[in-house]
Amino acid sequence: MPALALKRKQWEPFAFASPSLVLIGFVILFPLAYSFYLSFQNFDLSVGSDYEFVGAKNYTEAIFRDPRFLGSVWNTAVIIAPSLVLELLLGLGIAMLLSRVLRGRPIITALLAIPAMVSPVMAAMAWRMMYGVKYGAINNLGRQLGILDVYFDWFSSPFISIVAVVLVEVWHNTPFMMLVLLAGLQSIPQELYDAARVDGANPWQSFWSVTLPLLKFTMVVGVMIRLIDLTKLFGLIFVLTFGGPGGSTETVAFTTYLMGFKDFRMSYAAALSYVIVGGVLILTLVFFWMQRVREARAA
Amino acid sequence: MAVAVERSAVVTQRLKRHRLWRRIGHALTYLGLAVALVFFLGPFFWIVTTSLKGNEDFFAFPPVWIPHEPSLKHYAALFTRSSGARYFTNSMVLSTFSMIAALVVSLPTAYSIARWRFGGGLLSIFLLVLRMLPAIALIIPIYIVYKLLGMTNNYLGLVVVYTVLYIPFAVWLLVGFLRDFPVEIEEAAMIDGCSRLRALVQVIVPIIAPGMAVVALFAFIATWNEFLFAIVLTGIETKTMMVLVTSFTSGGTDMFYGEASASVVLGVLPAFAVAFMLQRYLVKGLALGGTKG
Repeated sequence: MPALALKRKQWEPFAFASPSLVLIGFVILFPLAYSFYLSFQNFDLSVGSDYEFVGAKNYTEAIFRDPRFLGSVWNTAVIIAPSLVLELLLGLGIAMLLSRVLRGRPIITALLAIPAMVSPVMAAMAWRMMYGVKYGAINNLGRQLGILDVYFDWFSSPFISIVAVVLVEVWHNTPFMMLVLLAGLQSIPQELYDAARVDGANPWQSFWSVTLPLLKFTMVVGVMIRLIDLTKLFGLIFVLTFGGPGGSTETVAFTTYLMGFKDFRMSYAAALSYVIVGGVLILTLVFFWMQRVREARAA
Repeated sequence: MAVAVERSAVVTQRLKRHRLWRRIGHALTYLGLAVALVFFLGPFFWIVTTSLKGNEDFFAFPPVWIPHEPSLKHYAALFTRSSGARYFTNSMVLSTFSMIAALVVSLPTAYSIARWRFGGGLLSIFLLVLRMLPAIALIIPIYIVYKLLGMTNNYLGLVVVYTVLYIPFAVWLLVGFLRDFPVEIEEAAMIDGCSRLRALVQVIVPIIAPGMAVVALFAFIATWNEFLFAIVLTGIETKTMMVLVTSFTSGGTDMFYGEASASVVLGVLPAFAVAFMLQRYLVKGLALGGTKG
């Protein structure tokens, strides 16, 4: 009887875990492996359903010869960098304001958090209408206040389009950064601030030598999460600019989508998606490595 | 004596100045937050008022910010002309089924990790890596396989994808809730002759129900918000609200303001509800990517 009980016990953990593991195998791991296999073929649905092995041709084309994909890598970086900086600074500022509020903090926090819960598609659609040339809120408000004297087309030039995309992205995800940093701020013990004040530190000094050092880890985690999510930027671009004007806001995920589902170059799109996965992986590792080096130097 | 009086005057003056600064500081804090609230909620306010405007209000100058005679005719048009009711129902059905399926499948796995440390730390890391995986890497093979199986434009196909995409997040959160659950209670139930599965369903689930509700609400929102799989795998009958919204972009930026804004209002409604219900869990949920499918 004890032997039987033991045997059942050994089986149980596996039995409990297996349903979701089997599903993950079928719906995530198998497709990933299949996609990896496809990325070495020349499967092109616009040509036909036959394909053959072409080696690493798709990868070399993506990394060395495809100006559109390389351009989208640049565009993604150009959108990510200012977004991350602004989200971090604004998020920190609002979190610090919130941490000083005594009354009504939960309700204000919940209200400010709403944009982060909304789908990127909905955020982009709301802003697309706000940017609207004739009926948009921004042009109308600008004209009413006398700041604008024409109906401005916010998607007429690549530079302003990127600014417009970054603004929507900052609006959409600063609340996330704010929530993360607020949690970080609240975990800093009040005694440290009291001690700093007793030692004669002014608010500015206590910010630099108490808040920032203790908040650093939270900031790194928040930026990391946003960085990884920003490399997936798709729905926002799809609705707001559809990659335009002239492909200036095409991100890597969006270009891959167009390759797969507009040009139907399935193998090439699969290769692109693996290049993206590899790139994100390298980015993450470099980020962690830099962090470790800096910590080692500080120690 | 004179000296003492003088000093106390200085002290009260300093105290007064200190109080004044504090008051100014408080005023500035609330002012800053008010500006933030206008920036982050302004677009929602504008979208709601726009969806209630008459067509003539769109052309008016000076612009109409709050319509004089709010009407629901754009919502009516959305529901009749653009089949909005159908797509709203699609989103509801898909989100509900994916939410339930994700919970049912994830709970035993989370239990296995929480009670027996199944897979060591490795399984947890594996699940976290899966969450980081870009959806674009999955959509291409899944589209090809679904095309072969005839599963595109099919509720079941979408529910399966959404359920599995949500397992890592659900397991991560549920493991936390299960670890907090005192093992003695379920042991007591099992000594009384309860099987482990029954103990899980009849003893643990009722107690951790609030935690499961958190996971469920995040799962609902994630599926509701998901776009990439929805636009590739849905057809004319199975479109979701996210896909419907994109159909209003084809006419240039100035087209269909009425129906487009009405569809955005309906599309963000669940997010509003959940943001208030999940206040305490927002950080954890969002950090783990809870609202992204």
